[in-house]
Amino acid sequence: MHLHKYEKIWLTFGIGSLVVFLLILGYGAFWKGTHPQSHGVTIDPNNIQAYEDFKPENLGLTKVDDNQYVVNLIASAFNYDFGKDDDGAPVKHIRIPAGSNVLFQVTTPDVVHGFNVAGTNVNMMVEPGYISQLETVLKKPGIYTIVCNEYCGVGHHMMYATLEVYE
Amino acid sequence: MATKINKQKHVENETSNLKGTLISVMVLGMIILISWFGVFALFLSR
Repeated sequence: MHLHKYEKIWLTFGIGSLVVFLLILGYGAFWKGTHPQSHGVTIDPNNIQAYEDFKPENLGLTKVDDNQYVVNLIASAFNYDFGKDDDGAPVKHIRIPAGSNVLFQVTTPDVVHGFNVAGTNVNMMVEPGYISQLETVLKKPGIYTIVCNEYCGVGHHMMYATLEVYE
Repeated sequence: MATKINKQKHVENETSNLKGTLISVMVLGMIILISWFGVFALFLSR
């Protein structure tokens, strides 16, 4: 087969780029554990409370160990349920120390919602029947807005909360 | 007569100039690579 010498150059360039891309992808998936946020953990959307993590008393921020936190919440039209504070008011602001490891667990009883901590890599789709999980280290202090970024209905714009990362 | 025409065509293919094609392929390739690594760097830094 005859190939023009320029053709050999761009074929090498193209195949080389593909190899580099696959190596980075493989490194991220197998060494760093990057995976889709909804990895097949199912839940009955009509009976979320039957699942330990989503009982009303377990919602919101929980410290499980030194520098280890879990945030459980239920996204529903049109609210993020982080549980209630000591006065019985709904929690809309959570505070986590910088550098801690946080596991977010979110589910929904109704329609598809989004869960995005704006400005970070915490960005998930929340689907009825599934538990979306994402574990991350919050490094940069600041106040982040949590927003729903999947259009879920007329009250979509009212679904927000704040996350404060403090030093 | 017919063989003469065939020979001429063959010569034309041998000297086809692909310099412009090479440049445009490389420009497109660099744009794709730079934007991919830009997005990847954003993912790693957050």
